[in-house]
Amino acid sequence: MTYSDGTEAVRDLSLSIPRGEFFGFLGANGAGKTTTIKMLSTLLTPTGGRARINGYDVVDERTAVRGTVGYMAQHVSVDRELTARENLQFACEAYGVGGADRESRIEELLELVDLADVADTPAENFSGGMQKRLDAATALVHDPALVFLDEPTTGLDPKARNRLWDYFERINDAGTTIFLTTQYLEEADALCDRLAVIRDGGLVADDSPEALKRRVGGSRLSIDVEGGEEAIAAAERVARQHDWLTDEAALETTGDGLAVATSSPADHGSDLLVALRDAGVDISGFEVEEATLDDVFLTIADEGTDGLDAGGEDTDELDAESQQAAPAAASGTGQ
Amino acid sequence: MSTATSDRPTPAHNSLTRDVWVNFKRWSRKAIRNPTAFFLEIVVGVFSLLLFSAVFGDVGEFALTQAGYADVDYLTYLVPAVFMQATMGSAFSSGVGLVGDLESGMFEKVTAMPMGWTAVLLGKAAADLLRILVQLLVVLALAVALGASVETGAAGVAGIMGVALLVGLLFMSIANILGVLVRDEEAINAASMLFMFPLLFLSPAFIPVADDIEWVARLNPITYGVDAIRALVIDEDVLTVLDVTRFGGIYDTLVPAVAVLVGLNLLFGAIAVRVLGRASSADAA
Repeated sequence: MTYSDGTEAVRDLSLSIPRGEFFGFLGANGAGKTTTIKMLSTLLTPTGGRARINGYDVVDERTAVRGTVGYMAQHVSVDRELTARENLQFACEAYGVGGADRESRIEELLELVDLADVADTPAENFSGGMQKRLDAATALVHDPALVFLDEPTTGLDPKARNRLWDYFERINDAGTTIFLTTQYLEEADALCDRLAVIRDGGLVADDSPEALKRRVGGSRLSIDVEGGEEAIAAAERVARQHDWLTDEAALETTGDGLAVATSSPADHGSDLLVALRDAGVDISGFEVEEATLDDVFLTIADEGTDGLDAGGEDTDELDAESQQAAPAAASGTGQ
Repeated sequence: MSTATSDRPTPAHNSLTRDVWVNFKRWSRKAIRNPTAFFLEIVVGVFSLLLFSAVFGDVGEFALTQAGYADVDYLTYLVPAVFMQATMGSAFSSGVGLVGDLESGMFEKVTAMPMGWTAVLLGKAAADLLRILVQLLVVLALAVALGASVETGAAGVAGIMGVALLVGLLFMSIANILGVLVRDEEAINAASMLFMFPLLFLSPAFIPVADDIEWVARLNPITYGVDAIRALVIDEDVLTVLDVTRFGGIYDTLVPAVAVLVGLNLLFGAIAVRVLGRASSADAA
């Protein structure tokens, strides 16, 4: 996707999202998240590449795509002059939610986003969090198969944020596919089945939150050893005997001793220290560095594709997935 | 890429008329929510009528006599001017409404809905026109109460409303195009003043057009709105900027004036649909 001013916002992006997945799309400001979500929700026409949403082409079957997805923009989009109920009524009518169902659907959504008490208050009197919740509800009136949420909790207080999280998890449990963009790894971690990280318009990672965290960090144990290279080599041999340390990458030697990547630093750290002492290794220092979730995100977003699976140009994989019996909720390649 | 089409969810959507109705309802609701602006526009219309007839009364009567309208009361002569002023003012509110939607994100939200742009625009235009119609009926009733008269009767009133709505639609198109281009409510309000006064004064709105500005008045759409309405108010052929004689009576004014207004509407309507359609599909930055 290249803008008219020549800015290339998204390139060589290849994704396939199965039905029912809670998919997180991460990236720094300006990485291309919103451009991608706007292309997939038909608000932007891609300058190259193809994408299908719910089986419909985002360019050739635009109206069909719009009729099967919900879209919640980054900025609150509600009609502030209208009440919460009227905003929902308008959305229901626009999405063709019929007469008999409509009122019960509106009541249900008002309850779900906890706005039933203020249903007949104009939205301009709502707090930011209430407007966001109303916005989210209007994106869901037609029970869409897939919902795009573009940074839905940015600027919300923790209480309002948790409430929205709850709400998203509930609709995902009910079968709705969710495509979420966020700057908060904490949010992605709490909600998503799978995460993709975009940097400079291209994918630099695509995996489950756990795998992603393992790959870029987790916790790191530093063990300093007295006695120079020989002692360090001996310590490495001892450490390698632990079956949780068979992975080559998880253990490396440093100038002062060993560095170990682990997901459970307390257990593994004490095991390792005891084993080293029993083997007669003289330990001079020990430190646990916890990688924060934000660090993990920053590492991926800044370092690029080294050691990570990039989505890249592997369009064959996409075709294969699309041919499976259970079709993808969203799939596409973009340039 | 092959995809199992049988398993695609059925898209939600409506018929075109239903989409128009949905958007009409939304904008009408917003107008009702904001009665101050609605009544203020009426007050401005009536106030202008009183003000201009008081201030220009004697000068106006003199100018009318000179131009051969000795039998026409100046208050009656002013009715089209006030109609055009109210119509333009109200039409620019339509652009302000659009800017509000652009700023609140509703424009994008509506774009993401499975409705065609034509339906969205028609619904909004219909609501805006209804608002103008109600305002003009109130202004007309007050003008009549103050002593103005409509010589062509009920059919004439219907014709007056029709012409006013044509002018309203034209300026709604212009205001909505400006709305997309400038995206600023204050700029739209300032633009409405910029349009309103020169266009009114360079037309036969307040006094018959002087010979040396006739060529400007000929290029001014308000001239055609004013003259068509005035022809219906005083039941005379009043169009001076074009020399038409083939239809007879007031039709020598009505036919060319309405033709010009319809032509301009087609032109600016097409531009508005295009500009808004473009804004809706590329509004990403």
